[in-house]
Amino acid sequence: MLVLDAGATAYEASSRATGYLSLRGETPAESPLAQEAEKLWDGLDEELGYPTEWTQKGRIWAAFNERELDELKQLYGTFRKTNVPFEFLSGDDLREMMPCLSESCLGGIWTHRSGHANPQRTSQAFAWAFNDRGGEIREYTPVLEILTEGGKAKGVRTLQGELHSDKLALCAAAHNTLLLEPLGIHFPLAPVRLEALVTTPMPPLFEQAFIGNGLSIRQTKRGNLHMNGGPYEWVDLEIGKEAAKPNTQIVRNILRRAIETMPVLKGAQFLRSWAGIVDMAPDQMTTIHKFDSPEGLVTAACSGHGFGMAPAVGIAVSELLLKGETRMPIDQLSLDRFNKVSTDWRAKRRWEAGQYNT
Amino acid sequence: MQGKIVVVGASAGGCRVALAAQAAGHDVTLVDEHPQAMKDMSFDAPWFYGAGLPSALLNDNSIAQAVLEGSPELIECLESGVDVRVSTVLWGAFRNGPNSVNVGRPRVGLVNRDGNEILEHDTLVIATGVRDFVPSFKGWELPGVFGGKAGIAMLDLYQVFEGRKAVVLGTSELALRFIRSALARGTEIVAVIEAGQEVYAGPEAAAWLAERGIPVHLRHVVHEALGKTEVSGAICVSLDGDATFAVDCDSIAVAIATLPNIELPAAMGCKMHYDPGLASWVPEVDARGETSLESVYWLRDDASSEALLASIKGETNADRFPPHAAQTQPTLDYIKTWISALHESGGDDVNICQCETVTRGEFCGIAPPSYLGQGLRHAQSPIVHSDAARAPRINQDFMKRMTRVSMGHCQGKRCRDEASIALALRFGVDPDAIRPASYRFPLRPIDLALIADDDESEDIRLHWQMWPYETRQD
Repeated sequence: MLVLDAGATAYEASSRATGYLSLRGETPAESPLAQEAEKLWDGLDEELGYPTEWTQKGRIWAAFNERELDELKQLYGTFRKTNVPFEFLSGDDLREMMPCLSESCLGGIWTHRSGHANPQRTSQAFAWAFNDRGGEIREYTPVLEILTEGGKAKGVRTLQGELHSDKLALCAAAHNTLLLEPLGIHFPLAPVRLEALVTTPMPPLFEQAFIGNGLSIRQTKRGNLHMNGGPYEWVDLEIGKEAAKPNTQIVRNILRRAIETMPVLKGAQFLRSWAGIVDMAPDQMTTIHKFDSPEGLVTAACSGHGFGMAPAVGIAVSELLLKGETRMPIDQLSLDRFNKVSTDWRAKRRWEAGQYNT
Repeated sequence: MQGKIVVVGASAGGCRVALAAQAAGHDVTLVDEHPQAMKDMSFDAPWFYGAGLPSALLNDNSIAQAVLEGSPELIECLESGVDVRVSTVLWGAFRNGPNSVNVGRPRVGLVNRDGNEILEHDTLVIATGVRDFVPSFKGWELPGVFGGKAGIAMLDLYQVFEGRKAVVLGTSELALRFIRSALARGTEIVAVIEAGQEVYAGPEAAAWLAERGIPVHLRHVVHEALGKTEVSGAICVSLDGDATFAVDCDSIAVAIATLPNIELPAAMGCKMHYDPGLASWVPEVDARGETSLESVYWLRDDASSEALLASIKGETNADRFPPHAAQTQPTLDYIKTWISALHESGGDDVNICQCETVTRGEFCGIAPPSYLGQGLRHAQSPIVHSDAARAPRINQDFMKRMTRVSMGHCQGKRCRDEASIALALRFGVDPDAIRPASYRFPLRPIDLALIADDDESEDIRLHWQMWPYETRQD
């Protein structure tokens, strides 16, 4: 088994991710797969042999004004289509479990399940565990082309030449779109740049995975507050080229929102910011697809919540590749659901490179 | 050079550029973080003050006065109408570029003790000078350990130096400057410790030290700074045979080398290359100092501003200024000598990262931070697995993320260079084959309350993405 990465391990989406496992109340079609991932997360440190910082302390979606509260209540109807124990709580109930939460929080959705982990540490833990089992990861080796022959997967072309295999898993986020296009396959994904930051360590404040006021905020095991959010800037990627991931002055707005959300953060310091590229599908859901033609090719991408889903997605992809079928619940996640998505969908959505705030 | 100009760094070179640009009719803002608030000094950036900051530094007025009086060029800038911002940190710089095309005119983020401001401009001149290089040794966290630049600043600029008996590490020009200033203020130099075979600043410097009866210990390093709450002495060890001696002192000036402040051009995405002469990655620049980013200039040192000054004055023959000559004695070799000697004699059980309390051994062994209470199932190596010619051999960001060395509140300013050289030495990798740890905005840690925006536009507020509606469907 050989894994090729265009750059270093855990360098792209893993370095941008907040580190949440979402149980996908907002997209119930994905929820069964997310719940399979949750079971795997609980044993991951032991299975891999390396720390992931998995923290299973529940998740909060909080509303900070009446409009958000109405929207969240409406969304709660969707959440209840899953079999996850979600509850709608008042602001006071939320503050009781998370005392640092601002008085302006009016209420929100809560589940004691799901959690968060350290994305870089987790991705590296997978990589090391893979090495320990005899796998090889070749870094800085971008795939330039998917090779097929007679309707079957044949291998890939890299700068170092061709590598041949009749079984290929393409998990290159929004690069999937570019690499599948020459095969006449349309995988609609739009890359988008997002910003993230951390503060200096604070005393223990909360352990839940928190979402509200336009931010995702978690406190790391070290104590830093890790957050991201803000307007999306849609971009284009190039095969074989590392994407630029600049920050903007929007980090100031993120910090203001952080203080609004948890006033105690006034006492923290802004330490570090960075940005990353996320791949977004039209319905913002995970895709896992096995092709009949070319046979031997499987692809996956997770619309910005792949980190938490990864343990289950990994099993689904490997089973599809090796056995042709999987025990993971992915019936509603194939590429077929995009059959009617036109090739100019990004323009129609205003998700084309350069567009902002859409 | 065009339009509104921001010069960051009020060194002599930075001031001269600001004055020339002002005289040529530009609107110029000159930014400098000095004099720093005492809290900011404690991050040891750019100068390594250490934990023993004299309380006299709390007197803002006299400190500000000292800084102004110490720089006639800065006073000239003030008098010439340059918009001078002292005690102001330039924490970020933003401009349109790949994957960010909505910034508009280039802008820098400024923050001082009262608040923050976003300043639009056309041209940015980076004249941010150098910082102290201070490698680890046992006890280097103690008050009384400081860098050469910080020591000279406390002696000459702020005039608050309280040390009476100092041990000096290093025999570079920086060490000699510190020693001259210290002697002038009546501080006794009880020992000069040099890891190398000879006085690095040359035979004349050696003779000068000998004339003054200053004991110089070649082929020695400091083994340990002694003291419970502050430095009370030092144990030094010979690199030939392990003989040790102890000295009484209240100060240990680490004056081995300085390194250029490159965090701004690096974080902006200027193309960088490794310069062994400076032991640092530095921006690639043309004869006038323009980086790979248009209208962003980087001044390597005060002397390298000549071509830029000529061009501001309208002279077109910038080619007559020769490119910077390579240093005959690369700083890299000297730094390597020191780190290698300190690590061999001091061993693995010394904190390399003060902020996160991580030892050299834990760092090189990629140990997870102790607060996780978990180890690695099998030993792992930081060497990149790749046969691509352009691949780095080691990613310092990977080491940072796994061990937290350089992830603390000093943002790696204390330890990142030693960490990188330590990796080079232990794993037999050239320093330029190590992808350096990324520099990030903000360039200094900033209180959230100072930096948080209070003018979020309706447009931004309206379009702010609200999870779980990850993207608005309109």
